[in-house]
Amino acid sequence: MTILSHQTLAALVLFAGIAHANDKVTFATNWKAQAAHGGFYQAIADGTYQRHQLDVKLVPGGPQVNNRPLLPAGRIDFLMTGNLLHSFDNVKNGVPTVVVAAMFQKDPQALLAHPGQGYNTFDSLKNAPVALIAKDGQFTWWQWLKAVHGFRDEALKPYSYNLGPFLANPKAIQQGYSVAEPIYVQNQGKFKPVVHLLADHGFSTYSTVIEARTDTVRDKPDVVRRFVDASAIGWVNYLYGDRRAANALMLKDNPEMTLEELESSVALMKEQGIVDSGEALYNGIGAMNLSRISDFHAQMVKAGLYKAGEVDLAKVATLQFVNRKVGLDLKAALGKH
Amino acid sequence: MSCRAFDRMLPGAALIGFMIGWEVLVRLAQIPHYTLPAPSLIAQTLWTHAGSLAGSWWFTLKVTFSALILAMAGGVLLASVFALWRPLERAFFPLAVMLQVTPVVAVAPLILIYVDSTTVALLLCTWVAAFFPILSNTLIGLRATDAGHRDLFHLYRATPWQRLRLLLVPTALPYFVAGLKISGGLSLIGAVTAEMVAGAAGRETGLASRILEASFRTETPKMFAALALLAFTGVAIFWLFDRLSRALLHHWH
Amino acid sequence: MPDALISLTAIDKIFASGIRALQSVSMSIAPGEFVSLLGPSGCGKSTVLRLVAGLDAPTAGRIEAPAWRDPAHALTAFVFQDATLLPWADVFDNVWLPLRLAGVSRQQAASRVEALLAQMGLTEFAHARPAALSGGMRMRVAIARARVADPEVLLMDEPFAALDEITRQRLNADLLAGWQAAPMAVMFVTHSVFEAAFLSQRVIVMGARPGRVVDTVTIDEPYPRSSAFRTSPKYADICRHLSSALEAAMAGSAA
Repeated sequence: MTILSHQTLAALVLFAGIAHANDKVTFATNWKAQAAHGGFYQAIADGTYQRHQLDVKLVPGGPQVNNRPLLPAGRIDFLMTGNLLHSFDNVKNGVPTVVVAAMFQKDPQALLAHPGQGYNTFDSLKNAPVALIAKDGQFTWWQWLKAVHGFRDEALKPYSYNLGPFLANPKAIQQGYSVAEPIYVQNQGKFKPVVHLLADHGFSTYSTVIEARTDTVRDKPDVVRRFVDASAIGWVNYLYGDRRAANALMLKDNPEMTLEELESSVALMKEQGIVDSGEALYNGIGAMNLSRISDFHAQMVKAGLYKAGEVDLAKVATLQFVNRKVGLDLKAALGKH
Repeated sequence: MSCRAFDRMLPGAALIGFMIGWEVLVRLAQIPHYTLPAPSLIAQTLWTHAGSLAGSWWFTLKVTFSALILAMAGGVLLASVFALWRPLERAFFPLAVMLQVTPVVAVAPLILIYVDSTTVALLLCTWVAAFFPILSNTLIGLRATDAGHRDLFHLYRATPWQRLRLLLVPTALPYFVAGLKISGGLSLIGAVTAEMVAGAAGRETGLASRILEASFRTETPKMFAALALLAFTGVAIFWLFDRLSRALLHHWH
Repeated sequence: MPDALISLTAIDKIFASGIRALQSVSMSIAPGEFVSLLGPSGCGKSTVLRLVAGLDAPTAGRIEAPAWRDPAHALTAFVFQDATLLPWADVFDNVWLPLRLAGVSRQQAASRVEALLAQMGLTEFAHARPAALSGGMRMRVAIARARVADPEVLLMDEPFAALDEITRQRLNADLLAGWQAAPMAVMFVTHSVFEAAFLSQRVIVMGARPGRVVDTVTIDEPYPRSSAFRTSPKYADICRHLSSALEAAMAGSAA
C-alpha cells in the first residue's frame, strides 16, 4: 500500500473540494426555532444538506421579524410561509415567487380556549367576547372566519405573542399552532386548553410551504430539487429517526425553548398528522396536488378574500420538485417509529 | 423673481425634484413595484383606493387631534399644579419623565389588558407619547417670569387671578406653543405606533392598520400610498402649528 | 424731620448670603421732596429703594413709608433701570397697567392714560409694542406708567444709566417738569454726580461695605432748573462738593 505524502494528500482533498463545491443557499423561516421547523434543522445537523451539495444558512423569523420581502428582493433563496394565502397574494400582486413544496399536509393553525367554558364545539368559539389574533392572522384567515363561520370584529383584540391576556381571562380564545401553544399553556397556565384546528373546519391549505423566486426555479432547478429532497429527508429523519442533534441546534437558536416542549410537539405533529398524512404517505413529504390548491382558492374567493380571476392559479405552485416518493424508502428502513 | 417668492417656492421645488428623481430612478433601474414603487404608481394607487384610505386617514386624524387636545389640557393642568406647589412637582415630575421614556409598544399591550375599548386604549397611548413636552415646556414658562415684572405686580397689589391672567399666561405662552409644536408631531407618531401594536383590524381603523395590512398582503404600492398620506399629515401638522405660533406670538416674540 | 412721608431709622439689612448691605442707615423724606441717593456700586442704594417700596424687609430697624402703611392701595411707583415693560402689550396697555390692577377699566382709564402719553410725547406710539421702541422711548413709557396712578412716592433706580447723554438730559428735564406739575416724593438713585446735582433738592451720599449714609448735601437752587443751570458756577461748585464727598465715601469703604 502506497503511503501518500502529505502534499499529495492535501492536493487531493483540495481538488475534491473544488470539484464538488457546495451551493450556498439561504433559507428563512417564519418564527423562532421550534419543532415545526425540525426537519430543516435535522437536515443541517446530520449533514443531509451537505450530502446534497448544499451549504444551507438558516435565518429564523420571530415576533418582530418579517423575512418575507427578502425573497423577491433576492436576499434569501428559499422562504418558509405558513399558508397558501401568502402565495396567492404574491401572485395577485405580480411578485415573482412560486411554491415548490408543502412540508405540512395539514395547517396547524388553531384556536385555543379554556376548558369548561362552553367552547367544546367550533361553533361556540364565535361567541367568545375576546379573540386574541395576531396582526398576520387578522388580515388573512380571520377574514375567512368572519365570512364563513360568523366570527365578529367586536371580539377581535391584538395578540402580541404573550399568553398573559388569554390565561387571565377564562372567556377569551386565542390563536396558536396546535403543536406548540397548547404545550406552553399547559406549562404556564397549568391546564389543558381546548384546541380547534382550522383545518378540521374547512381551512384546507397546505402549510409550512417552501417558496422560491421564479427565476431560481427557471435558472437553477437542480439546486431547488436538491433543497426540496434534502428537506424531505430531513423531515423523515426528524420524525422517525435520531433527532437529538437537530433538537440541540434548535435549542441553541432559541434559548427559550426546552427539550421537553420540542418532544411534546413532535408527538402532537405525529398524532395530528400534520406533516406526514394524506398524499405524503404515498408521494413523500412535501407532496402537493393542484386540485387541492384550486379548491382552497375557491373557498377563499367565496369568503371574500379574493375576487374571482385575481389570482392566476397556474403561477401559484410548481409540482416539478415533489411527488417523487423521496424519503419513503428511508422511512421504511427506520421502521417507522 | 423676488427673494421672498423664491424662498417660498423652495420647499415645493425640492419636493418636486425629489419625486422626479425617484420616478427616473425606478424606471431606469427597473426596480420592481413590489420593492420600490414609483411615485406615479403610488399616486395611481391613492386614487384607486381613495375611499378606504380616506376613512382610515380620518380615523388617524381624529385620534391624533383628540389625544393632542387631551395632552394640552393635561399638560397645562399638571404644569399649573406643579408651578403652584413645589413639593408636588418634586414628588411627581419623575413619574412624568418615566412615562415619557416608556416606549408605546411596550405600554400598549398592558393598557389593552385593562381597557376594553380599543379607541380609548389608542387615545391613552397617544396621550402618553404627547403630553410631556407640553408639561415640561409650560412649567418652564410659568416659572420664567421676569423678576422685574414680578416686582411690578407686587407693587401694584395684583390679585393671584390678575397675576395669572396678565403675567403668567403671557409669559408662558411662547414656551407652551414651543411644546405644542413638538407634541403635534409626537401625537401623530404615537397614534400610528399605538395602532400598530394595539389596534384591531376590521372596526375603526386608521392608516397604521392600512399600512400593516398592505404589508402582510404584499400590496407594496398601497403601503407606500398610506405612508405618503402619513408624511403629508406630519408636514401639515407642523405647518399648522407654525402658523398658530406666529399668529399668537408674532407681535412680540 | 417732622411729618416725614418716608423715614428709615437705624436700618440694617443682611442678605441670606451673609452680605451686610446696609448698616444703621437712617434718613427721612418729606412729602413732595426730590432726593437723590448718590454712591458707588455696592453701597446699598438700590436696597434702600426696595425697602421703601416694600419689596424687601429690613433685618433690623424701623421703616415707615406709604407702601408699608397701606397694604391695599398702591401709592408707590417704581422705575427700574430696565424699563420692565410687558413685551406682549402695547404702550397704551403698559401705561394702563397700574390702573387696570386697581380695577379701572380701559375706557375709564383712557383719559388719564392719554394725558400722560401726551405729556411724555408718546401719543403717536400708543399702539406700538416695546420691541419697536428705542431705549429712551421705553424709559418714557416706564415713567408714564409710574405716574399714571398719581403715586405719593416715586422711586427711580438709575433709570437713565443706559441712555446716551442727550436723551438723558432731555429725560431729566421732562422728569422735573412732571414732578413740578404733580408733586410727589421722589427718591432718585444715581452714581452720576452731575445728575444728582441737577435734579435734586437734597443729595444723600452713601458709602459702601457696609452700606451707610456718609453725607447729606442740600441744593437750594430754585425750580424750574434750566440748562443754563448746568453751565453756572454754582452748579460746578455743587458738583465739586459732591465729588469730594463721594471720594471720601469711597476712600472710607477702601479702609
